[in-house]
Amino acid sequence: MYTTDLIRRSGRSLASAKTRTLLTAIAIAVGTFALTLTLGASNGVQSYVKKIIANNFDPAELIVTADSGLINKTDTTKPQEYDSSFGSLTTAAGATVQVKKLTDADLLRLSQLPGVQRVRPAVSVALQYVTRPGMRKYVGTLTAYSSSQKPDLAAGTLGDDVPAGSIILPDGFLSSLGFSSAQAAIGQTVTIAVQPAFDQTSLQSAFASGGTAALSQLATPATTLQTYKIAAVSKTSTFSQPGTSLYLYASLAETQKLSDLTTKGTSSYRRYLTAFVKAADGTNPKKLDAVQTEVKALGYGAQSVADTEAFLTQIITILQGIVVAFGIIAVVASLFGIINTMYISVLQRTREIGLMKALGMRKRDINSLFRMEAALIGFLGGILGAGAAVLLGLVLNPWISNKLGLGGDPLLIFNYLQIALLVAALMIVATLAGLLPARKASRLNPIDALRTE
Amino acid sequence: MISLSAISKVYGKKDTAFTALSDISFEVPAGSTLAVIGKSGSGKSTLMHIMSGLDRPTSGTIKIDDVELFNMKPKAMDAFRAGTMSFIFQAFFVEANQSCYQNVMLPLEIGQVPRRKRKSLVMNALKAVELDDKAGVLAGNLSGGQKQRLAIARAIVNQPKILFADEPTGNLDSTTGEKIMQLLFNLNKDLGCTLVLVTHDHELAARCQHQITIKDGHIESIVDRRAARKAQA
Ligand SMILES: Nc1ncnc2c1ncn2[C@@H]1O[C@H](COP(=O)(O)OP(=O)(O)O)[C@@H](O)[C@H]1O
Ligand SMILES: [Mg+2]
Repeated sequence: MYTTDLIRRSGRSLASAKTRTLLTAIAIAVGTFALTLTLGASNGVQSYVKKIIANNFDPAELIVTADSGLINKTDTTKPQEYDSSFGSLTTAAGATVQVKKLTDADLLRLSQLPGVQRVRPAVSVALQYVTRPGMRKYVGTLTAYSSSQKPDLAAGTLGDDVPAGSIILPDGFLSSLGFSSAQAAIGQTVTIAVQPAFDQTSLQSAFASGGTAALSQLATPATTLQTYKIAAVSKTSTFSQPGTSLYLYASLAETQKLSDLTTKGTSSYRRYLTAFVKAADGTNPKKLDAVQTEVKALGYGAQSVADTEAFLTQIITILQGIVVAFGIIAVVASLFGIINTMYISVLQRTREIGLMKALGMRKRDINSLFRMEAALIGFLGGILGAGAAVLLGLVLNPWISNKLGLGGDPLLIFNYLQIALLVAALMIVATLAGLLPARKASRLNPIDALRTE
Repeated sequence: MISLSAISKVYGKKDTAFTALSDISFEVPAGSTLAVIGKSGSGKSTLMHIMSGLDRPTSGTIKIDDVELFNMKPKAMDAFRAGTMSFIFQAFFVEANQSCYQNVMLPLEIGQVPRRKRKSLVMNALKAVELDDKAGVLAGNLSGGQKQRLAIARAIVNQPKILFADEPTGNLDSTTGEKIMQLLFNLNKDLGCTLVLVTHDHELAARCQHQITIKDGHIESIVDRRAARKAQA
């Protein structure tokens, strides 16, 4: 028989048992539905993470830490031995971990490595407050600007860096600081207050040099006020790093100056949790890898953007793995439905099979006829499930994006090639499920089959 | 020409062995009509199945136009059978949920007849059994006589050399049965195909050129009316 004839015959046979076919297909559709949605969500999350990273990190840069354990493998389940040269850090869950920080000497060492174009420490300052004459005071954070962050500007223009004596003000501050619009803020000034911090080291040295008088002076630290011009106003972007939407930005030098003021005499002075090491021609993965290897060889932790991306998507991947596993279980369970349906089909069509054999139809063709029938059920189930998932996704996407604050970005991104592959895979496993019934059909003895009355 | 020599068929083994056919030999010239007569359970159907290659004899050989049927590989056998023979059964075996047209199409698909030739072949076959106006009707909606006519259309669409009919009128009333038999005899004349008719109806058998009576798996008698006529002349 020609393949097209076989397909048409198996299609007709499915059509003549519509309810049975549909029910079997729906069983497959359930699993396919879950798999399609999961794939869609996975695509969406990956694209979202990629955009966040592209908007906040330079792919040619490595994030370097003094402590290679800080990246990926800080084990908070075992006590860490105290080391006075380490700083401490509070994790999101509130646990205290001690971390080794980078020093200026480390930065120098890193910048002298071959293939390194530039080293930039990550500096941010907890401000005492931000204000303007006649306005209330607000707490804030000032961070060193990096051109790789490419913030969306609501007003103003920006070169490679923020000019000296200027800052970028996030639009979230506009109305609080009494600006009617982003444009109105450009060229105006804000006042930033910082206060020296003190820790055990500074207390000890103060006591040693000035006794209790010096101590009490330290306890009521002098506030330093600095006035900055607003060079630009940044827009809150859906792709900014979570929690950073109210960060003020200044040039590295400017930020460093304030940081020095607040940390002088403490153990945090000129200590950096992370630094960004930019590799020359670092968008070339080979060059970036080479620098990463060197940095790691010196005992530092080094993570590329790709590593960060993998780390961020890892947990999502695990969750998706679970959904995929359930989807696969559903599909596997529905395969037994196919086997069952196909056996019934063979049984019901015993006489037809006998007749076809009597008329000289080849064993192979009878086998194909039933395998194709199974494949068609798989196809139908795949199309139904994937179709329903895509429809639901298209309807729900705006709503989900809104709820999750993704802006106009869809959570579910459907890749039609991926869906086609999924349906093809379903057809293959459905065919496998049809193997035994098809074999039974092809082995039927035509005489016995035709005796059935 | 179909020739059988020393055909035996034993079902089961040892203690349960049952000889359904033993030492059957005869010849049927191409284009003639043969009636296989006998009581129920005498072995008629078994003989027909073996003659058509559906079943293997325990011993003996069958030649169809000098082709040794059971010497062929399965694939060649299927192709040979698809191009040479057709069947009509007592219980019609038409597919109720397919149209008449689709039912008749089946042998053409099996025989891989080129698509462009199919339509006219199917319509001609339907015309021959006067069902051309029912081409699009589901076979399940036909009457018994119409179903058997449809089965005949399906059997002749591929222009077979041999037509096997196993009690083709067994499920029909006598008037309808008579019409079907008339149709079969006419087709034998018009198409020149050999008709092998399995029946327990002696009147029907008497209208065939050759008659073989089977009893308990043995040939009880062979009548060759043409030979008898020649001898008379
Ligand atoms: N597969 C089989 N196994 C055992 N005995 C069988 C089988 N098929 C047929 N027979 C026996 O062979 C005999 C002939 O059967 P069959 O050719 O169908 O008779 P008829 O067609 O003349 O009524 C019967 O007695 C039947 O019971
Ligand atoms: Mg019989």
